[in-house]
Amino acid sequence: MRNLWTVFFFATILCLSHARADNLLDGADLGYGEYLSGECVTCHSKDGVDKGIPVINGLDAEVFASIMHAYKTGDMDHPVMMMVASRLDAEQIASLAVYFAAMPGTN
Amino acid sequence: MVTKFSRRQFTGGILAGTTALAMPSLAFGARPRVAVIGGGAGGATAAKYIAKDSKGAIDVTLIEASKRYYTCFYSNLYLGGFRSYASIGHNYYGLSVNRGVNVVHEWANSVDTAAKVVNLGHGGQVKYDRLVLSPGISLKYDSLPGYSPEMHSRMPHAWTSGTQVQLLRSKVLNMKKGGTFVMVPPPNPYRCPPGPYERVSMIAHLLKERNPTAKIIILDPKPKFSKQGLFMAGWEKHYPGMIDWIDPDTHGGIKSINATSMEIETDLDTFKADAASVVPAQHAGSIAMAAGVTDGDWCPINPANMTAKADPNIYVLGDASVASSMPKSGFSANSQAKVAANHIRGELTGSRVYEARYANTCWSLVATDDGIKVGANYSAGPEKIDVVSKFVSQGDESADVRKATYQESIGWYEGITTDMFS
Ligand SMILES: Cc1cc2nc3c(=O)[nH]c(=O)nc-3n(C[C@H](O)[C@H](O)[C@H](O)COP(=O)(O)OP(=O)(O)OC[C@H]3O[C@@H](n4cnc5c(N)ncnc54)[C@H](O)[C@@H]3O)c2cc1C
Repeated sequence: MRNLWTVFFFATILCLSHARADNLLDGADLGYGEYLSGECVTCHSKDGVDKGIPVINGLDAEVFASIMHAYKTGDMDHPVMMMVASRLDAEQIASLAVYFAAMPGTN
Repeated sequence: MVTKFSRRQFTGGILAGTTALAMPSLAFGARPRVAVIGGGAGGATAAKYIAKDSKGAIDVTLIEASKRYYTCFYSNLYLGGFRSYASIGHNYYGLSVNRGVNVVHEWANSVDTAAKVVNLGHGGQVKYDRLVLSPGISLKYDSLPGYSPEMHSRMPHAWTSGTQVQLLRSKVLNMKKGGTFVMVPPPNPYRCPPGPYERVSMIAHLLKERNPTAKIIILDPKPKFSKQGLFMAGWEKHYPGMIDWIDPDTHGGIKSINATSMEIETDLDTFKADAASVVPAQHAGSIAMAAGVTDGDWCPINPANMTAKADPNIYVLGDASVASSMPKSGFSANSQAKVAANHIRGELTGSRVYEARYANTCWSLVATDDGIKVGANYSAGPEKIDVVSKFVSQGDESADVRKATYQESIGWYEGITTDMFS
């Protein structure tokens, strides 16, 4: 009985997080993401080199989007990133997420 | 835009003459041409993005006088001994080899805006459908009494790319024990608002190690300056008693500069320098003046796309433009270049044009591992570029935060120079 409950518990979490992930990437537009990425690559090296700013090329799209939403709500705290995220709406975040996920990762 | 072009082409049979006039390159099947003058933060970025995103559909020529671009950003860190001179130099191979940009190392002499032609120093010409101007600044020699181009070697401004900053470093290193360094910052508006104060910090860092009884005097034409509280607190902490900032109310204005005797005269006193950096007032790079797109010292632009108010075929980026609340910085120039590149592609190939989004962050180093920053993002208002939101480092930050800020700035340098040149 207890096991069944555990399975149900995890299944629910999976479903919920799956649903959330779908929402996170709703409305993604690769072309728009490419345009918006111009603002990111001034700091996040396009060649995937980390000399003090993390590489975001190749980052999983859902992870990318969750992080940006966390900066937007203030759950993650960094003055530049909070400013960047503050004016991105969910579709813009989704567009950026799919664009960077498709970029070749760290060199 | 796509439909507009195809409609034009469709009616081309009847209106061939008109079409040819309106869209010459498209009508004849030739690639539209973009010329970019200035391969710095604005121009190199614009050339790259236009070439990259148009995937060969636009012919891009970059006209840049120098074969190597030494960034002004981080030149202060070179002064302080945190970077080598070689590490701030960049070439244009990436743009020509990876992106197919025609890089022409020549001086642009003039622009014939009616014929849409750039005249080069050695008599050649570059034709354009759209022109991007990002020539940076020229110095106003008459802004300081007694100041002249010949004084560059005695009191280096080191405010444009190149070897001036090496000269300045050697002069600081050769100061006599307990000597005086005088910094004369420029009046507003000028390239890199925190720059003179970061420069002072880096010179103080150098002197603290090698000549700790030396003094630094700042004769400022401005009553306040960028990140003032943060800089002054940093000076007090790291270089107590070394730096004296004198505002214009106190010194009463600079009356004369004598580079031979190394004396700077103000109402308050005549200051004798063992080494000095004098940065005069500035205006848009001279080619912008020659192209007739300036109004006074700078070029007014349309905030939505960075086109010059005076000519819709010319885009003005970076320091030369009047970007209202955006400071004249490499970051700003790079950001503006992407907006312009997107708009130019739309105009010439019918690709999608997105809304203008601008951003800037300026990092400064006050002392080892003590970095501070200020930044904002911006959108295009009807008349000017407006601030959306902004931030600045706090006075009570921990040493860890300051160190992280410095490390972030190293990442930014890597990011922006890759973005410009590769
Ligand atoms: C000490 C100092 C520190 C700085 N620190 C920072 C910083 O930390 N962060 C930051 O973002 N910014 C910083 N800046 C500011 C930054 O360097 C400038 O704002 C930026 O370079 C402006 O870009 P631009 O494209 O307008 O001009 P530039 O980068 O100056 O490029 C102009 C180019 O055009 C070329 N050119 C001009 N006229 C012609 C012509 N007629 N024909 C051919 N070529 C021509 C020049 O050779 C030059 O290469 C600093 C500046 C200084 C002086």
